[in-house]
Amino acid sequence: MTVPTTTGMSLALPRAAALTDALLAPPADSVRAAEITALRAELAGELVALAEELPVGERLRLDGYRFDMARERPERCSAADAPFVASPVVCRRAIGLSALARCVRRWAPTPAVAVADVLAVGVEDAADAADQSSGRPPWWAAWYRSLPAGGRAMVAAEAVTWATQVWTALEWERFAPPPIVGSGDDWWDCPGTRQLTLRGRADVRVRGDGPPVLLVVASGLPPADWRPALGFPALVSALARGETSVPCRVIGLWPASGQVRILPVDGPALSTTAAAVVGAVATWVDARLEAHGTRVA
Amino acid sequence: MSRSGSSIDVIRPPEGSALLERLRGQTTARPTVDPGLAGGLRDWLEDGLAGVTDGLPVDAAPVRVTKEALTGVLMCEAHLMARRTSPRTVTVELARGSLVDALFRQWVTTGRLDDPWPDALGAVRADGDTDIIDFLEAMDAPNSRELAREVAEHAAGVVARWPVPSPTWLPRTQERLVVPLVGGRVVLSGVVDLAFGGPASERASVCVVEIKSGRRRVEHRGDLHFYALLETLRSGAPPFRIATYYTRTGELDVEPVTDDVLVGALQRVLAGTVRLCRLAAGTEPTRTPNGLCAWCAALPGCEPGQARAGTDVPRRVGDATTDDDFSLLAETDTGGGGGDDEQELEE
Repeated sequence: MTVPTTTGMSLALPRAAALTDALLAPPADSVRAAEITALRAELAGELVALAEELPVGERLRLDGYRFDMARERPERCSAADAPFVASPVVCRRAIGLSALARCVRRWAPTPAVAVADVLAVGVEDAADAADQSSGRPPWWAAWYRSLPAGGRAMVAAEAVTWATQVWTALEWERFAPPPIVGSGDDWWDCPGTRQLTLRGRADVRVRGDGPPVLLVVASGLPPADWRPALGFPALVSALARGETSVPCRVIGLWPASGQVRILPVDGPALSTTAAAVVGAVATWVDARLEAHGTRVA
Repeated sequence: MSRSGSSIDVIRPPEGSALLERLRGQTTARPTVDPGLAGGLRDWLEDGLAGVTDGLPVDAAPVRVTKEALTGVLMCEAHLMARRTSPRTVTVELARGSLVDALFRQWVTTGRLDDPWPDALGAVRADGDTDIIDFLEAMDAPNSRELAREVAEHAAGVVARWPVPSPTWLPRTQERLVVPLVGGRVVLSGVVDLAFGGPASERASVCVVEIKSGRRRVEHRGDLHFYALLETLRSGAPPFRIATYYTRTGELDVEPVTDDVLVGALQRVLAGTVRLCRLAAGTEPTRTPNGLCAWCAALPGCEPGQARAGTDVPRRVGDATTDDDFSLLAETDTGGGGGDDEQELEE
């Protein structure tokens, strides 16, 4: 079995065919259950020791964003917990994924139509939630509903651009069954502490007879050390769901730069990512202690 | 425009289906894609930049090459450096550009422009562009009314002339393009105001449109060519057409993307990037007198500039909005203009 690589991919047109091939390629090696069990125990031991250093009552939720920040811009961790501010750019992925899901299910013919549908439903849900007549609306809906027409248009425009980039990146009709778009995140509460949770996220999950393949869409350029960034959702999936859900590969897509990276997921890849997680948690713990003025140099 | 005898026949700006026809052309007439072109251009750039980044500190941030940086460094290195170290100055032109850009984006995306001024303000507030918001809020009432009138005129022109693109053309606005070179030490970047067309296969399929709220300038072609190169390197296929649309007049400049266009853009990128890398490495900027010397913050210490401007006292940005040279400085481009590709925070 040949593991797909990005070699030659940049020159192949249409690129969607090559990227779809990579998502559909059969798995190579799988990760054994014993490897995951051992990794889970070892990682939990190291993380519990770090979590115990967190200020009393503080919890750390390490998601992909915080993981990347700790590795690439650790100096920003100290100031990173500023209040969340919604914006068209911040919302585009969430809205765009819902729109893509509609396109994949053939509920909408194009991303632009799908985004308009998603936003309209979001406004309704937010209104219903305000009346306490329905369940929880998407996190962005109340903010979006509060915007004037011009602001809403910017939200729609950003989401359409994002969704169109992903929609045109793959040959969706080749997936059978259709891939899961924007499926729920994976959460892993570190055993032995209530202070640490890992949250993994993939944008598209392709399931066939074997292990899944994940697609992660990111902005800008791939970081110099992109492997841990792609390994993170695979690791959290392995920790949270067990060996049957460990993806056989994670594919990173950076639409703005047309870059693609492929990470075959095996034991060493998970171990490397786990080591990076320990480093990232340590960075965040230090940042929290600094913020509390309790870190002794 | 065309001359006939002593009179000038003004060609009416294209609108409706005629405008779209000029942008889309005949599908069957679109050029076939040379699958090796993008790789060849990238190799050419990499070869041309080999060794150029050697003088940069090991931990230096990537040298970002935007259309503004290119134009600036090729015009006068000292002026570019002076601008970079000066605080961002918001002008009426810059504010108008942001507002008109937001309205164009709204029109293309939603097909509705009910009330241009509040719509535009709502857009820039949602985007969180605090410099523009602060500028607008500080304007006195007469100037604010005048700007609102201007913005409404631009919006009316867009609504009258631009059909809303069909969703099946996959229109997207403010599309970011980023191309890393030399192992990421150089990053070409830009933000395209409007692109439509799906990814290329055998034939080129993407059209790129830049929106300008200011006057027509020959320099805008260089910006477009730069974007054509970025799109080629990013997607593997060149756009089939590039265009500039002027919201004030409705003028539409459309150009096919040929190999000559791409090679010319590449040579300009190489020339500018070499200079930008030298500046990033700490080399003293060269001084090249030009029409912007009168507004240059470095004018008091620049003898060639003083000779050109006839004074050593720089004019304040925004003093003379009717000056032709100044309009280049005033950034009347309505787009994001590149450099807006920081890794954004995403929920």
